[in-house]
Amino acid sequence: MHYDLIIIGMGLSGLMAAKTALDLKKRVLLIGKGMGGLTLFSNTIDILGRIPENLNLKDGLFEWIKDHPEHPYSKIGVEGIEEALSSFISIFPPPYTFQSLNGRNAKLPTAIGTFRPTYLFPSTLAGGTYLKEGNTLIVGFKGFKDFYAGYMAKEFKCRHLTLSLQDEGRSELTATYLSRLMEKEGFRERIGSQIKNALKGESLVAMPPILGLRDPMDAKKHLEAITGVEVFEIPTLPPSLLGMRLFNRFKEYLLERGVDLLIGNKISKVQIKSALCEGIEVYHPPITRFYSADHFILATGRFIGGGLEAERERISETVFHLPVWSTRSQDKWFGENFFDDHPIHGFGISVDPSFRPLDSEGKPIFENVRVIGTILSGHHSLYEGSREGIEISTGYWGAKRLLE
Amino acid sequence: MASFPIRFVTGIEAKGNILIFLSIAISRSEPSLISLTSWDSIYIKLLKKSIPHSSLTKGMNLVKRWKRSFFQIIKMGLKAEVLIVGGGATGAGIARDLARRGIPSILIEKGDFASGASGRNHGLLHSGARYAVTDPQAAKECIQENRILRKIAPHCIEETGGLFISLPEDGLEFRDRFLRACEKVGIPTQPLSPEEALTLEPELNPHLLSAIHVPDGAIDPFTLVLSNVKDAEDHGSKFLLHTEVLSILVEKDKVKGVRVKDLCTGEESTIETSFLINATGAWADYFLKSLGLRIGIALSKGSMMITNRRLGQRVINRCRPPSDGDIIVPNHTVSILGTTSIRVEEIENFEVTPSEVSLLIQETSKMIPSINGCRFIRAYAGIRPLFIEQGKQNDRAISRGFVLIDHEERDGIKNLISITGGKLITYRLMAEKTSDLICQKMGVTISCTTHSVPLPGANQSLALRERLKNLGRKEILCDCELVKRDEVEKILKNEKLKELQDILHRTRIAKGTCQGGFCIYRLLGLLNESGKDFGDSNKILKGFLEERWKGIHPVLWGSAVKEEEMIEGIYKGIFNLR
Ligand SMILES: Cc1cc2nc3c(=O)[nH]c(=O)nc-3n(C[C@H](O)[C@H](O)[C@H](O)COP(=O)(O)OP(=O)(O)OC[C@H]3O[C@@H](n4cnc5c(N)ncnc54)[C@H](O)[C@@H]3O)c2cc1C
Repeated sequence: MHYDLIIIGMGLSGLMAAKTALDLKKRVLLIGKGMGGLTLFSNTIDILGRIPENLNLKDGLFEWIKDHPEHPYSKIGVEGIEEALSSFISIFPPPYTFQSLNGRNAKLPTAIGTFRPTYLFPSTLAGGTYLKEGNTLIVGFKGFKDFYAGYMAKEFKCRHLTLSLQDEGRSELTATYLSRLMEKEGFRERIGSQIKNALKGESLVAMPPILGLRDPMDAKKHLEAITGVEVFEIPTLPPSLLGMRLFNRFKEYLLERGVDLLIGNKISKVQIKSALCEGIEVYHPPITRFYSADHFILATGRFIGGGLEAERERISETVFHLPVWSTRSQDKWFGENFFDDHPIHGFGISVDPSFRPLDSEGKPIFENVRVIGTILSGHHSLYEGSREGIEISTGYWGAKRLLE
Repeated sequence: MASFPIRFVTGIEAKGNILIFLSIAISRSEPSLISLTSWDSIYIKLLKKSIPHSSLTKGMNLVKRWKRSFFQIIKMGLKAEVLIVGGGATGAGIARDLARRGIPSILIEKGDFASGASGRNHGLLHSGARYAVTDPQAAKECIQENRILRKIAPHCIEETGGLFISLPEDGLEFRDRFLRACEKVGIPTQPLSPEEALTLEPELNPHLLSAIHVPDGAIDPFTLVLSNVKDAEDHGSKFLLHTEVLSILVEKDKVKGVRVKDLCTGEESTIETSFLINATGAWADYFLKSLGLRIGIALSKGSMMITNRRLGQRVINRCRPPSDGDIIVPNHTVSILGTTSIRVEEIENFEVTPSEVSLLIQETSKMIPSINGCRFIRAYAGIRPLFIEQGKQNDRAISRGFVLIDHEERDGIKNLISITGGKLITYRLMAEKTSDLICQKMGVTISCTTHSVPLPGANQSLALRERLKNLGRKEILCDCELVKRDEVEKILKNEKLKELQDILHRTRIAKGTCQGGFCIYRLLGLLNESGKDFGDSNKILKGFLEERWKGIHPVLWGSAVKEEEMIEGIYKGIFNLR
């Protein structure tokens, strides 16, 4: 089967590239292992957390780009990033939308009682921006072991309520189980009135991200109607329902526009002829199938995504065996302290302005292969608070520069 | 039995609100007192005898209060008959031995139980074979204690058996000496052909020349130490954790007491004692420093690495003179590779270096080649105290036997004893010899029973299978090691805990593949919700992650890097902990 574009990797960058290509009416195959890193981390959209508070993002980005010529953002520019973000925002129609706090980073509460800066966040998290000492009742669930209302309450100096769902007959609850309950009106009524009774003048109610997968805003509004106060979610340990909502919406959008999806299959071989990739072989047990395309985009992420692999003496790229900008010896990969910004996070694939991978002499290796997302070198996304920004902007421009 | 008095406990008297501590003599012929098992009841009896009824109820209430805060007693000045310093296997073993002889003691430990070498070793239940050629005396002690521990501590032991394998580069010459030496000290051996060995342990190097089966095993040091503590406590001993001995107070030719610091509160106080036992292991010389004494021990760091799966059923040893990287010990669901031997000057602040990691992999993979592709979950190290005998240059050649020093003979200090060196598995013998010496000094003859009386918990199984069976529908905190929420709640209720580490020592939390990456948040959540937190949770969380990192970053490659990316993503990303 032949495509205009084959995208390898289903994280946020691959999804963004697919969206961009489909908007340009291309025939796209998107292939990946699963929901990608989305269910692990992408609760909100970080663009650049490390800018001074109260500086607006645009100015922060200008400064950053000036000081970091090797950063993926420098290949895109501030306007380019903004254009990519609008494209992202456009696929989330009300009521579940993404917003920023007047063009600045918002500080949203976390599940250990700290605040983290982030740029875009979904409507169900918006209430968190108002959290202050004493104004929020934090609600947890007995048996849900990834969210401790008491822990947060102590840090935020708020009160908490731990609901017990004994009649559900389970001692252990998961986020997906709770969110399925939350989709039932009866359940919302029950816990809503328990919460209402526990309120002592608080104007906000916080809970783990369990407002449901399908219509979280319905659940939110319903609970608000019962309790009379604003309800919001506080992100916690993966798997993240917030990320699943993102993934599901992307999937819906892409399928409507005729994408072909291959989920859960492994690429067994790439076929290369001189500087061109002709196609890939995918293993569908028990047979192997060949897919060809004019262009390829590699968006396989870092180690979790499977884009990079660390052997003891070498870091390698798994699909095209591209050279990885890195140091050889393992004891140089990490800092002495956990909280150091480890050198390994800066390793990755280096690319030219149109995202073509480069060899050690700085020459493009393939004519028709582009590399996007966090696998790129030149950034420390975790440290910078830039993960989703890099994924969205390189995903958008990687596809756009290739196809226009 | 002859009736003679033993001065073994301190009495108290209440006068108004003031407590006066006094030593009392208890007659051997008065059974009601001899069979006392707890200090509280001794207090009560004393109060009954010597104090008018009106103050008795007051006294009883006071007793209840002391029970709650033993530390308060210290502040007011405490006397002990026997004071043991060091809460490793040796110290705990002595407390138990003495308690079982009717001599309660106080044990002081600056950290938690097993926070020294007893919690940082290879976990090998030696058969003694390793030392048969080079140190027959140590070998003899090992096989004898090996047999005893199987009887008294089956719940701490996995009877795996062990193999000594010869590789082509080793030849068979050492093997023959080895067999003769084992026979001489009474270690049963069974030679196997390479084919037989490979059937038993398929991951072994297929080129091996021969294998010899010996009764090695795996031992869980934490459970071993805690079981000794429990038995000692049940028989009247007291333990002060997180309390450090700062100096020893001597008058003429006798130790009068020690100066101690409560590390929880920072307060200092003095404890008087009639006998002082130095069971501080590698710290033994440091401990004696305030007296200007020195036993002369060298410190040797040994490093180990934990694989994320169990590589075989048995302990695998290299059949050659003891050297680096020649033992692989199975332990629950993992295997532990070890060890190295590096002279160090400092007892604290040591870590596993990249060259040790390379050496361990290089050497152990000669025995089990798949180690080259293995995932490691942690590296860690411990410090051995080695007693320096004249003329021995190589640390591996220094005896692994123990030293028991009567400072009366050596330095003219009548009531001070040091016990150090040895092995984890000879802890009981070390305790027996120390207790014998104490009894001799007290002028009594009561025999040791620890070789035949099983430790508490001996009827429980340690197997994962059992844990699985007991899980039922209980909430699990740690998914790697299946630790239940219940289990932690019970510990929180029953024990004096100062810090997170104390809980980690008492459960298998953070010992599995993720090394606590996930469950630590849950544990802190639980502590907070039950009002038992140890202070600023996020600071504790950071401290835990840094400590964990020390063991992880030396062995971080392969698929472990993925998991670490996740853990970093959680704590630095989602939680924005900086
Ligand atoms: C790398 C390595 C591998 C080993 N492998 C094995 C093995 O496989 N099998 C085996 O049988 N043995 C093994 N051993 C030996 C075994 O671990 C030790 O012999 C044993 O644990 C010693 O116990 P201990 O109680 O004497 O000393 P420790 O466990 O070190 O206890 C001493 C305690 O004293 C405390 N202390 C020190 N100073 C003070 C003070 N001033 N005040 C209060 N407390 C103080 C310390 O905190 C410490 O907890 C190994 C040792 C090492 C280092």
